[in-house]
Amino acid sequence: MIRSVARPQDSAWHRAHITRRRRTWIIMTGVICAALVLAAFGYFGTVGWTALGEAIIRTTYRLVLAYGIALVFGVSIALLVGWFSLTDALFPIFDVLQNIPSFALIPFFIYFLGYTDWMIILFAVSSITWPILFAVLAAIKGAHKDLSDAATIFGARGWRRIPYYLAPLSYPAILTGSIVGIAIGWESVIGAEIIANTSGFGAFIKTASASGINQAAIAGMFVILIIVFVTNRLIWAPLLVESSKRYAE
Amino acid sequence: MALALSRVSARFDDAAAREVSVLKEISFSVSTGEFVSIIGPSGAGKSTLMRVILGLMKPESGTIVRNFSKPAMVFQNYALFPWLSAIDNVAFGLRMEEMSRKEREQIAREKLKEVGLAHLEKHYPAMLSGGQRQRIGLARALAISPDLLIMDEPFSNLDTITAEALKADLLKIWRTYGMTILMVNHLIPDAIELSDQIIVMGAHPGCVKKIISIDLTRPRDTRSEKFFKQVDRLTEDIRTIS
Repeated sequence: MIRSVARPQDSAWHRAHITRRRRTWIIMTGVICAALVLAAFGYFGTVGWTALGEAIIRTTYRLVLAYGIALVFGVSIALLVGWFSLTDALFPIFDVLQNIPSFALIPFFIYFLGYTDWMIILFAVSSITWPILFAVLAAIKGAHKDLSDAATIFGARGWRRIPYYLAPLSYPAILTGSIVGIAIGWESVIGAEIIANTSGFGAFIKTASASGINQAAIAGMFVILIIVFVTNRLIWAPLLVESSKRYAE
Repeated sequence: MALALSRVSARFDDAAAREVSVLKEISFSVSTGEFVSIIGPSGAGKSTLMRVILGLMKPESGTIVRNFSKPAMVFQNYALFPWLSAIDNVAFGLRMEEMSRKEREQIAREKLKEVGLAHLEKHYPAMLSGGQRQRIGLARALAISPDLLIMDEPFSNLDTITAEALKADLLKIWRTYGMTILMVNHLIPDAIELSDQIIVMGAHPGCVKKIISIDLTRPRDTRSEKFFKQVDRLTEDIRTIS
């Protein structure tokens, strides 16, 4: 009988992870200190915090909804493409499509949906979907042939291949695709809000900048940075650590 | 007869999209309950042959008679599902057979015990050593009660001590279950120690060069004169062929 030998955590990876975590904390401490110093000197005195809070909540709500739709849409398409073994055939087509500058599509979204919430949300979906789709496609395409054969031999055939093999196989890719997708999503939602000029943080900074109050935009940036940091520390970082441990070779 | 191949040839596209012949007119048969080893140099298409036998790849020509209903495979690189714990990996095939959780976990625990890893059922593959992973792979294969067990160089990534222990377990399991085993191997003494029949393959394209029956009595004494003579004879045969 062989005794349990839990593999020690890969030391290089562990060191890199600690360094990266430390660097993130240092940057965030710097950001918060800068905000506090500016606040102490009364820099944010003219900022309408209630309006800013409402704008950021609206933007975050749009982003979360867009991410949810993009996640379901991107993962479903990638899994179906992987299931039908069409990755090689469709990869170049997806590559061409994702290279169309997303903001070039905004007139179409406005034409069909007007200056509405759904225009902003679906426009963001069109940007967030790509990194998720490509990450999952690459994970399926790059999976070791033996793993795919094992799934087939032990019965993950037909539709069962999706929930029992392709979906769990894609989990680390879904995480990384989501992180990149959400970063792009902030840009898309705020960009669309600036163009639509209806509500949300984009519209808020547009109005604030037009009135010459740039403090409001800077305060908003600080708040968004903190939201991104907290989301990263509370959601993505633990999931990434768990996934890299479990999916390690 | 568990398996019979008659003039089976296979091709696939290489990296430059050129058609390459990997197997050429392969013919051999395996009796039910027999332990057969396939040995040959790199490029002999041994792994491709296993995939063709399992129906994972279509042959270009030839006939394959498969008198087995439940094949299982143990992989050189273990091919365990990293998202599943040891027990869930072992129970994977049973889950696909829609067996109840209670029943499949009971069988999986029995198999883990058989391969000496009952205490590691909650561990994930990344937490296990190579030898432990290979034992989980073996338990996963045994869990579905296969009538044909295909093993693709199962010992090649293991250290000598682990490989020896696993080999002894494999022989015990084979005697207990009486299943047909087809094993790709590259070590001549291992092939002689384990097999009833050895198929020697040549490379580029893969073809059967010789089929040798091993009639040494079991259990085989790997230090006996007869054993060493058999190893010498087979080594010489392979040298002549290549």
